[in-house]
Amino acid sequence: MGRPAGGKRRYVVARTGEIPSGVRRIVELEGRLIGVFNVHGRYVAVLNVCPHELAPVCLGRLGGTTLPSAAGQWVWGREGEILACPWHGWEFDLLTGACLTDRRRLRMYEVTVEDGQIIVMV
Amino acid sequence: MAITSIIDADIHPAPDPARVAERLPEPWRRRYLSGNTGPGYLNYWNPNGVHRSDAVTEDGERIEGSAVHLARHFFDVYKIEYGILNPENILGIGLSPEPDYAAAQASAINDVFVEEWLPVDSRFRYSIAVAPNDPELAAREIRRLGNRPGVVQVLMPSGARIPYGQRTFHPIYAAAVEHGLPVAIHPGTEGVGISGAPTAAGYPSSYLEWHTGLVGSFMAHLISLVTEGVFIKFPELKFVLVEGGVCWLPPLLWRLDKNWRALRQTAPWLDRRPSEIVFEHVYLTTQPIEEPDRPEHFKMMLEMFPADRIVMFSSDFPHWDGDTPNFAARNFPASMRNRVMHETARALYRLPEVARG
Repeated sequence: MGRPAGGKRRYVVARTGEIPSGVRRIVELEGRLIGVFNVHGRYVAVLNVCPHELAPVCLGRLGGTTLPSAAGQWVWGREGEILACPWHGWEFDLLTGACLTDRRRLRMYEVTVEDGQIIVMV
Repeated sequence: MAITSIIDADIHPAPDPARVAERLPEPWRRRYLSGNTGPGYLNYWNPNGVHRSDAVTEDGERIEGSAVHLARHFFDVYKIEYGILNPENILGIGLSPEPDYAAAQASAINDVFVEEWLPVDSRFRYSIAVAPNDPELAAREIRRLGNRPGVVQVLMPSGARIPYGQRTFHPIYAAAVEHGLPVAIHPGTEGVGISGAPTAAGYPSSYLEWHTGLVGSFMAHLISLVTEGVFIKFPELKFVLVEGGVCWLPPLLWRLDKNWRALRQTAPWLDRRPSEIVFEHVYLTTQPIEEPDRPEHFKMMLEMFPADRIVMFSSDFPHWDGDTPNFAARNFPASMRNRVMHETARALYRLPEVARG
């Protein structure tokens, strides 16, 4: 089977009910471990390799963080949208793949939902 | 040049508290079991925890908590030829104001590792922990265990009441030299117990500040060791600064050499430049390796001191700020990699070329 236009293959990784909000599942696609996260109803797929020291980033803490604020102010937010690497704690924005403190980014994969199925494009 | 082996100079196994308790005499055992294990830590907030959350087996057991797990899930995975085990949960007790409890705990923990861990895997080597604030008791512990197979070093906290060059600590160095053991210091207890404030400016307000400033105590101890003449008095002594990174060293020694030229009269036993003394006696471990934006800047720092002779790879496994062997190695020029990754440590700790068993 040849690759479709765009060079990507579609993989059904789960039914939507299997990955509720705040939950992740690690799947293996084409020999790569990929974390599929449900972030407040939106599905994102992330290569399980931290761009810093190649740690299994998708095993890290999922939660919120302190938002940029004035000195001495503490404002908690973005609950469920931030993934912290289990090795060095680098924080990543799961919605964009951006690191909050470095130019290196998570490798993200396109995700679509069709007929209750979560499909990752690799 | 390919890396031909890996020796890891800083691994942190955690003893089973029940096993430690069994080896403690009374009245310390009941106290330890009650949860009163020492002076405690400052408990600055590290949101990641100090231990890597993924350093667990499939059954959820901590890898550093078992000799078998550590061998299989760390040494095997990274093909570590030898690893220096620097025990967890002991550096804090080194800052206890109660010297007898501190010494008893250090002995119990040392016995757990020497008798229960070292026999499990021939790649393990051990640093005996001592509580340095009673130097006679510390020296006694070195003499008790210093000749045991697999013991390669003496370990002390870098959090301290006064700098380690001072004469009161010299019995520790005498005992270490007697047994051919380097003395290592390791950060993490700065501000704990009877230590001074964690920085020269006092108490910082966050883990980020505290952790960044830890190297300050290394600087203070190093200056003290050199200027007090420890390496003149103990010409065979080797000192290892574990977990301070490396890039801070050259500019500090420039300052020290410059001041020595003007102030030699205040330390007349210094018969040569302080930096020369350091390069003969002091070793650094790589982690947490500095990560400048331009990697060539790190390599430039290496040109400013004999890094090929005094820098040794360390992972700090399983702590949150550890480095993998490949991540550390690639920072060094190819010509220096085998020196850093195993040759310097092999010579310092007298490790045979082929691992036994």
